[in-house]
Amino acid sequence: MKKVYCEVSKCVGCKSCEIACAVEHSKSKTLFIAISEEPMPVHRRNVQSINKLIISDACHHCQEAPCVSACMSGAMYKDKDGSTQHDEEKCVGCWMCIMACPFGTISRRKKLAIKCDLCKDNVKGPMCVISCPTKALSLKDVQRGEL
Amino acid sequence: MNYIIIGASAAGISAIESIRTVDKNGKITIISDENYSIYSRCVLSYYLAGIVSEDKLKYREDDFYKKYNVNAILGKKVVSVLPDKKIKLSDGSEIPFDKLLIATGSRSKMENITGIEKEGVFGLRNIDDAKRIDLRLIKTKSAVMLGGGLIGLRAAYALHKRAVNVTVVVKSKHVLSQMMDEEGASFVQKRMQEQGINILTGLAAKEIIGDKEVKSVILENGNKIDCEIVVIGKGVQPNIELVKNTNIKTDWGIVVNEFLQTTVPDIYSAGDVAQSSDLITGESTINALWPNAIAQGKVAGLNMAGKNVKYSGSIGMNSVEFFDLPTISYGITKPKGEGFEILIKKNSVKNIYKKIILKNNKLVGFVLVSDVNQSGVYGSLIEKKIDVSSIKNNLLDNNFNFAKILPLISENRKNFTEPEYDEILITNK
Amino acid sequence: MSDKEKSADQVTNKMMDIACKNDIETAFDRYDAMEPECGFGQLGVCCKNCVMGPCRIDPFGEGPEKGICGANADTIAARNLVRMVAAGAAAHSDHGRDIAHTLLMTSQGKTKGYEIKGKEKLLSLAKELNVKTDSRKIEDIAHDVAEKCFAEFGQQHGELQFTRRAPKKRQEIWRKYKFMPRGVDREIVEIMHRTHIGVDNDYVNILQQGIRASLGDGWGGSMIATDLSDVLFGMPTPIRSVSNLGVLKEDEVNIIVHGHEPTLSDIIVTASQDKELLELAKQKGAKGINLAGICCTANEILMRHGIAVAGNFLQQELAIITGSVDLMLVDVQCIMPALGKLATCYHTKVISTSPKAKFPGVEHIEFSEEDALPIAKRIVKMAIENYPNRKKEIVNIPKDKMDLVAGFTAEYVYHMLGGKYRSTYRPLNDAIISGRLRGAVGIVGCNNPKVKHDWAHLELTKALLKKDVLVVTTGCSALASAKAGLLIPEAAKQYAGKGLQEICEAVGCPPVLHMGSCVDISRILMVLCNVLLEGGLGDDISDLPVAAAAPEWMSEKAVSIGFYAVSSGVYTVLGIPFPILGGKEITDFITDKMENVVGAKFGFEPDPLKAADLIVKHLDKKRAALKLKPVMYGE
Repeated sequence: MKKVYCEVSKCVGCKSCEIACAVEHSKSKTLFIAISEEPMPVHRRNVQSINKLIISDACHHCQEAPCVSACMSGAMYKDKDGSTQHDEEKCVGCWMCIMACPFGTISRRKKLAIKCDLCKDNVKGPMCVISCPTKALSLKDVQRGEL
Repeated sequence: MNYIIIGASAAGISAIESIRTVDKNGKITIISDENYSIYSRCVLSYYLAGIVSEDKLKYREDDFYKKYNVNAILGKKVVSVLPDKKIKLSDGSEIPFDKLLIATGSRSKMENITGIEKEGVFGLRNIDDAKRIDLRLIKTKSAVMLGGGLIGLRAAYALHKRAVNVTVVVKSKHVLSQMMDEEGASFVQKRMQEQGINILTGLAAKEIIGDKEVKSVILENGNKIDCEIVVIGKGVQPNIELVKNTNIKTDWGIVVNEFLQTTVPDIYSAGDVAQSSDLITGESTINALWPNAIAQGKVAGLNMAGKNVKYSGSIGMNSVEFFDLPTISYGITKPKGEGFEILIKKNSVKNIYKKIILKNNKLVGFVLVSDVNQSGVYGSLIEKKIDVSSIKNNLLDNNFNFAKILPLISENRKNFTEPEYDEILITNK
Repeated sequence: MSDKEKSADQVTNKMMDIACKNDIETAFDRYDAMEPECGFGQLGVCCKNCVMGPCRIDPFGEGPEKGICGANADTIAARNLVRMVAAGAAAHSDHGRDIAHTLLMTSQGKTKGYEIKGKEKLLSLAKELNVKTDSRKIEDIAHDVAEKCFAEFGQQHGELQFTRRAPKKRQEIWRKYKFMPRGVDREIVEIMHRTHIGVDNDYVNILQQGIRASLGDGWGGSMIATDLSDVLFGMPTPIRSVSNLGVLKEDEVNIIVHGHEPTLSDIIVTASQDKELLELAKQKGAKGINLAGICCTANEILMRHGIAVAGNFLQQELAIITGSVDLMLVDVQCIMPALGKLATCYHTKVISTSPKAKFPGVEHIEFSEEDALPIAKRIVKMAIENYPNRKKEIVNIPKDKMDLVAGFTAEYVYHMLGGKYRSTYRPLNDAIISGRLRGAVGIVGCNNPKVKHDWAHLELTKALLKKDVLVVTTGCSALASAKAGLLIPEAAKQYAGKGLQEICEAVGCPPVLHMGSCVDISRILMVLCNVLLEGGLGDDISDLPVAAAAPEWMSEKAVSIGFYAVSSGVYTVLGIPFPILGGKEITDFITDKMENVVGAKFGFEPDPLKAADLIVKHLDKKRAALKLKPVMYGE
């Protein structure tokens, strides 16, 4: 499977990825309209920093996804491609996934858990990667060993 | 290989999934006394509240057993485990096994209160409980929850959503006393009271009154609350009756070792019925909750299928949200004894409460109210037993997040073994 | 650059194909590489005015809602926007200042190659500015007029002279709300002060200063630039010419002048007609010297000399890509720094001339009025000498070019409509009053790769013509119309509604009137004043059935123009919104509440047809308020 990597040394903290993510997950998919939508679109990627280290972080699509184990409604699941996906229809907003995610990449919108879906519905791929002006973000194959 | 799994909830289903990752062809039989599709009992209160439909209770597809090639015996109870690798069902039939998983879960603890047998007194544990409560709502104006724990409050919240007058009777000083400290719980308690749920603390019920049906509850102090429904939320009790008269050691639940084996070879136990060691305290206990059951089912399944996987221990943790106020507690929230350090940050206007408990500069527990998004990051520090002295002053910062522990990950590479951490550090040069 | 057409102009598309095949990068490619553009910037919620930041407001409400100083999205967006006004007003006004300087030096006999060609205009200006004319030498009058105009820039108190040209009611509004500009420079400086950390933090108050500075541009700097250019280089009158890259010639020395100020370009026209240089060109194998313009420099020499137009803003690189440009000389504004690198792929020499504007990889020959003609000749000579270096095999001059008529002014409208002996605006007013014309709209502004090149200009223009709206145009929009054949009288038949057709036929004018460069939007303001003076259409600009639009704008100058247009009472529709949408209140103010203050507001509408609808609705609203008859040929 592929996931989005952040090359920390290249991330300048511009937060373009956050905006692109929110717009991609809006109804209109247009910035100027998205900012006035109700409910407000949520970005699933967050730019964080410590000292001079800046990282744009979102769901790591863990091999052994703790959020999937913790999900008591079956909303969180591993997709065939290995990505961790979330069925918002099934989510009841119990936040077990938030409690379980060691990266803190799941957030709340009203009664729904919200996380990176790798822009699975967009043929262009993850918009955060496309939006990244320094190419710190990239979509790359994941090399993980056997379980 | 001939596997039998007793119980079709989190641990049992998780075990099937993990057995099948190793053993594609072995014979698996699952036996459950409930004749339903695979459903999540944790979602029952949401169902009762009318937030989700019955269909949404299912957390696995209807064809799950078929897909995993499992023989499902539903609606039959296993009455006992027999000595010579056999089990006995309620209909008298006996089934042999090579490997057995006991994942019978637990049931609502019913107190010895006069009148508990009356119509209108329920636990909230099974789909049938939820349906019976639902049916009775038509003639219900008021309800009393006995117990201010998670079950009691969830039931209270659900019935309140269904326009029932709800009173919660709590024996402790505050609600959620098993889950968190008084101050953290006070935020939840206040919010529920503001929303119109009546909460009486430091009180117990003396008697349930009525003819055939519940009419009211009499409290210790003599007060009487009229109601049509009583929900007992006084905790749960493991379903261990089937192993009586066997060599399987029981205490509060079925005692298991780090491989989730019982004291009898080839018999495993997982989920709410299994008593394992607590990851943080090391004590033998039951942390009866969903993520632990899933994790235990998975480890037990792998070991039954021939792997040799250790279970790191269960963690007492919980997450609830009532009236838009999310609360997460994790690990030791009410430290007793020496050597604990407590960090607290609160804002009663914004309903923000953060309490972090450390011992020897390692996180051992926390309570978060409102701002819960980073709870998993704290959780990982607890689980991996990381010395956090270098970031202690930042733990309660509003902008605390995963990035803040990057240096700790670098310093403690051997604790962070998951491949995802490598993926971050590879690009971290 | 192949997925879909980037331009409504087929010449541009053809040239882009050539660029693509030769792996030559243009602004269109760089735009693609830039996408998606920074959302914070587009929404105006990034503040770099101090280094506690940069601060950004999260438009999705999860992150910070205030900057470190506490400024909210509205404050930040307002500060950023008025700084754009400051830059735009500064650009126009500095252009005006340069013209005043050239006039002053010329009046003192210190320049080589300039003369005072617009004597009539000079005298009327002198009268307006209380400069004595009786029995004075024209140079002396010009000197005093130039000094008076010069003084407008540094004036510290009082009111700018030309604001008196505005209707009385309008002046009262400006005084009431402290919009009346005191001096051109002062208002720009005050914007910079107010937007410094911790000064003006009330978005309405910030906008007040933006409005004041913009009026200092429209009724100050820009108006001075236009009027003094007319004095120095002569009043334009309608003139025929041709446009688009097809004007470049295979067998002549091609010189392109690009930029904005006529000071340089006008003298180049003179130099290019020099006999010795023409002879030299022949020696080098060229049949002649072919001058063509890009951007507003093109408009300046087009309307005064009929010099051909090579293209508008987004065609500047394409001109070089024809491989046929022997020299491109540039002065200020809208000149892409990319030209230097691009020219190295061809034989083209790019020469910068203004001490204010140098470019990496571009040779600089500093221009000065004192030696204007010798310098101009030197540059033309360089072009001629470069002609033999042209690589014939990579020359690709598109065949297409289009006829046009340009050079309408506020003054010319008198003659055009009234005839030579009874010059008057009456027929124009009557046409509007009778409903033969619905109204008039100024379509102006730049190109912007966010919009299909020229497309929005043309769609909007055509949609309005159909609705019997007279269109006046300047700048790159005018050049878009030129290339599309809208600036010829014959266009009326094809595009105009019946009423407008009748007018165009009667007068013999095109349905779209070319009124000059972007500083010449001041001409449009004067047309509006003249219409009001003629009578019958209300007593303030905001009463008139008129509007403005900048469908493809991109520059800070356009922001200043937009502000002075709206503050003068003209409803203005922008194809790209101001970068303020992150501030909900300021957006609401600019697109709605502002009307309660100045009688006009902005509209943001990327779809040119919807923009046309908005404008038509507005014109009809104004017509109704004036109790005019319904449009004669309306549906």
